[in-house]
Amino acid sequence: MTRSARPKLGAYAGLSGFGLLAGLVVARPEIVALTAPFLLALGVGLALAERPRLTLRLEQDSYRALEGEEVDLRLRVEAGAPVDRLDVYVRLPDGLEVARGHDPITVRLARGERRDIELTLLARRWGGHVVGPVHVRARDPLGLLSWEATYDAREPLRVYPREAQLRRMLRPRETQVFAGNEVARRKGEGIEFADIRPFAHGDLVRRVNWRASARRNELWVNEAHPERNVDVILFLDSFAEARLGGEGTLDLAVRATATLANEYIGRRDRVGLIAFGGILRWLLPGMGTLQRYRILDALLDTEIVLSYYWKEIDVIPRRTLPPSALVIALTPLLDERSVGALLDLRARGFDLAVIDVSPVPFTRRPRAGSLDELAYRIWELRRDALRARYERAGVAVAEWRRGDDLQVALEEVRAFRRYARHARV
Amino acid sequence: MAARRRPAGRARGGEGIQALRPARARLIPALAATVAAAAVAGYTLGLGGRYGALAAALAAVGLLVLIFGLVRRAHGAVPWAVTLVGAGYVLALGGRDTVDGWAAVVGGALLLTAELAIWSIEHDDRVYEEAAVLQRRIAALAGLVAGALLLGMLVVSAAAFSGATGIVVATAGVAAAVLAVAIVLRLVRTT
Repeated sequence: MTRSARPKLGAYAGLSGFGLLAGLVVARPEIVALTAPFLLALGVGLALAERPRLTLRLEQDSYRALEGEEVDLRLRVEAGAPVDRLDVYVRLPDGLEVARGHDPITVRLARGERRDIELTLLARRWGGHVVGPVHVRARDPLGLLSWEATYDAREPLRVYPREAQLRRMLRPRETQVFAGNEVARRKGEGIEFADIRPFAHGDLVRRVNWRASARRNELWVNEAHPERNVDVILFLDSFAEARLGGEGTLDLAVRATATLANEYIGRRDRVGLIAFGGILRWLLPGMGTLQRYRILDALLDTEIVLSYYWKEIDVIPRRTLPPSALVIALTPLLDERSVGALLDLRARGFDLAVIDVSPVPFTRRPRAGSLDELAYRIWELRRDALRARYERAGVAVAEWRRGDDLQVALEEVRAFRRYARHARV
Repeated sequence: MAARRRPAGRARGGEGIQALRPARARLIPALAATVAAAAVAGYTLGLGGRYGALAAALAAVGLLVLIFGLVRRAHGAVPWAVTLVGAGYVLALGGRDTVDGWAAVVGGALLLTAELAIWSIEHDDRVYEEAAVLQRRIAALAGLVAGALLLGMLVVSAAAFSGATGIVVATAGVAAAVLAVAIVLRLVRTT
């Protein structure tokens, strides 16, 4: 522990020295009487000062939580020497806050006393958080000296994004070969009726459409659409974000990505992830609960990393983007690199849908009539023009604002995709 | 499933005890320190004497310095304020042959001023103090002021008996007494 003198020590020492000297020079006993209390405080304070001997341990009742959940934290402090005033501060990351308890707190510990300081933490934001270290400052009874130390007591806490409920998902243009919940466009073994055709050798008798056969005087059989799974790639733009009041576009995008991943995996689809930003992260498409947790864990480590390096779509491993996969991009459309990469994806024939996580609610509109307001309006118009550019390229774009339901944005994308023509650009 | 969020607890205070508001927790010691310093300044004014006006002016300046230090949270202002108020008192005694019997009380008041002023300046709203810490602090302050009064009275009575020539002895006596108290406390603390 690092010992340091408080300002009081210097002040009292100065007053005592000056007072005693003045008393001797002026030869007035009253000056000595005025000085004596400060000398007494100095002597008593230094006599009572003892180096604290502390043992600290941080305990947590859970290492995983969902956004909005509470986690109990216990800091066990044991004192080998008495400490009259001990300031304890557990450093919390930005996404966590104290729901109950006090941090920092001042406690008093007797010799050998063990104290549990209880804190209830509220997980405000998703992320891989680390609780700690613990900073302590001990003071002697009269506050002349202080001892400070930082204990490297840290506990990890992974806070997963809270997922929304979606009623209907985006349908890709193409399906894959494995069984799933998506009705394929092609014909094959399935439940959903597709068409009828003349009987051919090898057709099952139970597929014969007797009504159609009777009308045509020859055997006709029913055809069906098979139920297949799909490949979905979630493209998370982490180049830039707009942030205001502790929340930003990346927070919304990560929550939406987690929701989409959860829903698609629940439908037995293969889901992959590309976090395209200063640091490129990817997960090959996969299915099942394990893949879901892989995606969630990868999302927790997503952050905006400033980078001037111009990245193109070529940097993404080829296997991450399987052909005929649906690519759903969640982007605030703020960085030219991600805008260009998405257009590049579309040009390569990928089935692309863009959810524009709007940065507008995270900005402050400048005063009306000012030059800033004019610039702001131009910026908004440029965003509209950018969305129109995507739409001209056949990409469905929907603006999703904070507070709106994600389903609304998805429906907007669906509506566009229903009538859009697929063409190479 | 997410656990239901429990209602947020109070930021301060215990189960049924309403804690002081942060601003008030700083204001009370500041006001008490000002009152103690003002009492010494008032007593100085009452003493009159040859340099009464100058002494009162010094004490008033000391009071202003103290208020400035409290408002601006300036540690450095406290010893200057105490010195100025004390200097005003000593100046007011100029020309008197007798030892002022209230000197011990004035010394205690100045110590109280300094302690409370530093308490107010160092108070941090963000740090929650347990009631036991506060009680212990008040008790320590009370004990310190009581000890200071006792020591001051000892000095004053010793000086009254031995006269102005006994200053050196009184000074040495104070230092010895403080040293003895410190040694005893140290021994008590370590056992």
